[in-house]
Amino acid sequence: MAPHDLRRPFKRPLISDQERRRQQSLLRQAQNRLDAQHHARFLVSTAFSLSSSQ
Amino acid sequence: IAGIELPQKQWPELIGSLLSNIHQVPAHVKQATLETLGYLCEEVPHEVVDQDQVNKILTAVVQGMNSSEKNNDVRLAAARALYNALEFAQANFSNDMEREYIMRVVCETTMSPELKIRQAAFECLVSIAAMYYVKLAPYIQDIYNITAKAVRSDEEPVALQAIEFWSTICDEETDILEEYVGDTTGDSDIPCFYFIKQALPALVPLLLETLLKQEEDQDLDEGAWNIAMAGGTCLGLVARTTGDDIVPLVMPFIEENITKPDWRQREAATYAFGSILEGPSPDKLVPLVNHALPFMLSALVKDPSNHVKDTTAWTLGRMFEFLHSSIVGTPIINEGNAQQIITVLLQSMKDVPNVAEKGCGALYFLAQGYEDVGITSPITPFFQEIVQALLTVTHREDATESRLRTSAYETLNEVVRCSTDETAPLVLQLVSVIMMELHKCLEAQNLSSDEREKQSELIGLLCGCLTVIIQKLGSSEPTKYVLLQYADQIMGLFIRVFACRNATAHEEAMLAIGALAYAIGPDFAKYLPEFYKFLEIDLQNFEEYQVCAVTVGVVGDICRALEDKIFPYCDGIMTQLLKNLSSDNLHRSVKPPLFSCIGDIALAIGDNFEKYLMYAMKTLQIAAEMYAHTSGFDLEMTEYINSLRNGILEAYSGIFQGFKNSSKSQILIPYAPHILQFLDSIYMEKDMDDIVMKTAIGVVGDLADTLGSNAGSLIQQSLSSTQFLNECLTSDDHLIKESAEWAKLAINRAISV
Repeated sequence: MAPHDLRRPFKRPLISDQERRRQQSLLRQAQNRLDAQHHARFLVSTAFSLSSSQ
Repeated sequence: IAGIELPQKQWPELIGSLLSNIHQVPAHVKQATLETLGYLCEEVPHEVVDQDQVNKILTAVVQGMNSSEKNNDVRLAAARALYNALEFAQANFSNDMEREYIMRVVCETTMSPELKIRQAAFECLVSIAAMYYVKLAPYIQDIYNITAKAVRSDEEPVALQAIEFWSTICDEETDILEEYVGDTTGDSDIPCFYFIKQALPALVPLLLETLLKQEEDQDLDEGAWNIAMAGGTCLGLVARTTGDDIVPLVMPFIEENITKPDWRQREAATYAFGSILEGPSPDKLVPLVNHALPFMLSALVKDPSNHVKDTTAWTLGRMFEFLHSSIVGTPIINEGNAQQIITVLLQSMKDVPNVAEKGCGALYFLAQGYEDVGITSPITPFFQEIVQALLTVTHREDATESRLRTSAYETLNEVVRCSTDETAPLVLQLVSVIMMELHKCLEAQNLSSDEREKQSELIGLLCGCLTVIIQKLGSSEPTKYVLLQYADQIMGLFIRVFACRNATAHEEAMLAIGALAYAIGPDFAKYLPEFYKFLEIDLQNFEEYQVCAVTVGVVGDICRALEDKIFPYCDGIMTQLLKNLSSDNLHRSVKPPLFSCIGDIALAIGDNFEKYLMYAMKTLQIAAEMYAHTSGFDLEMTEYINSLRNGILEAYSGIFQGFKNSSKSQILIPYAPHILQFLDSIYMEKDMDDIVMKTAIGVVGDLADTLGSNAGSLIQQSLSSTQFLNECLTSDDHLIKESAEWAKLAINRAISV
């Protein structure tokens, strides 16, 4: 049975700056992916509305 | 062995035969049996053991713990086994009689003359607090009495567990109260009994007493954990749980002790003040902080005790973390005291490493408070001085002690993140400074293994700092242009980092490269011939899976930066991504981003994805079938399955969007039925989170948009284009609604032609 370590963070931030950088990169990547998808959808929608209005 | 075999129902007689041992006379057989039952409960998922067997295990274990058991080894084995068996005891804790019996025995066991047995019994109480909070009301008064006695007079391992009980109650109540805030109906599943609020008048003095039990030099020992540390941590959690009510109970202790000649009293008073700065309202705290600030600044420089200075710097950091912000009404830092605060903090950074580290920490939050300050930051006049002081700290010979160098770089990162356009030229100057540091660090030769470890750590810190600088300068056009002039040199340094075999250094370099690719755009292509082999190696790093995960994200960054220029590298990348997805040895957290990355590649290379289509679709289809249903899984697993579904759906989206307007789009038609079936299945499961819902309705739209009338009748027959679409159209989440509105247009076009 594993020992039960009960130490909690002491005078230290809960998450490290490295973890913050990781999270910020993930957020940026997710946002960029959304933007790329939005861009792809918007391009086609525009193409469609142009062709349908002709 | 039971951990492997019981879930597969391959050893049904095991528990029965173990339990038959319990009545054996030799105590060591009984002890070994209880230990085995404990291990078994630790290893085997609780749903594997049926209730009848759970009842028998609990009966055996609780009887073994009872005071009538005279053999201490047996009693200890039983108490430790109960700790592991508690998770199995859901039904038993709902039965009044059984719960009463278990609680009575656990509480009695906390009085055992044996230290280890008392400690094990308190561990059970801590675990019960976390698992069965709602059942605790009838026992809380008795538990308070037991824990108070243990904190005041028992040996340290027991006292620590007794404090941990109250910290755990704080965790539970904070979670419940946060749920209340998130739940607009005000109707949470779990009621809050406000145990901490009720215990406050007795609990706070108890915790304040513990603060005076510091150990000499506790701040120098990384792994230290003692009653004073646990008590202060618990006091902080109590403040977070109860808010304003704690302030009048703590202030007299602070006032009485803060000027005493004994360092223990001054440190305890300061620690108490620092601990209650999160939770109570700014209205309550700001006047107290304004009053205390000059005293604290003076103590940070003048107090003869390193202990007191350490806690003072930490308390100043907490003041800035929770009460200093450009958006909070009354600023605690103003034109009148800013200069003095910064001077004192910079001075503390010349102190012994543990104090200097906390000084850096305080400066971190001081900078953070000015994050949203606008064009002009009050920190601007001090920017150069601060950066210089931080760089000086990083060069201290003792900078590797007390995490000092890490803290200095982290603070430098925050100062850069929160800087404004006014100081952009100074951030630009920092690029060559940090590059030079990295170059010097990479040059170091003939290092001992200890020095090599420190070198790798420094490389990681410098790459991290460059990531932040690249993100900052890349976020506005004029500074991005100047940054790009350094790109060749920066990339050259990062390539050299990959020669160093250290996971953190690789991960940090990868993160920085992702940021650089995003800033540079299509011109990043020139670095790929040299960089590609490192990308491929790190995609295969299953052991340090964080490196693999970050690298997967960087592949996405490069896809978006390069678009179809990534195509020549896709054979290798796709092979590796698909291999990773089919591997059982890769950490599960990397799987969802791997799926999303397939979508990134497809969107970047358009219909060139054709050559990978069959393999990718096969993998996606297998995964989709596997993760369409979540019944029988717990909440955590359902959450994970939702993240997998989201990855799978993002892959489908990328593929459909990549083939949009392509003459080859028809090759996707054979895959439409299973994709729609997957969408319908997860819709019917009714367990999608908002993120999956948004991605899923987007895929319905992408499918309709790309395949058009070729899939018109299939789409029309699907639940996704009717009921699911309608549900999304009326969603409160505007992102879901927006995707649904777009999907509706695409569906209408597909079925109207």
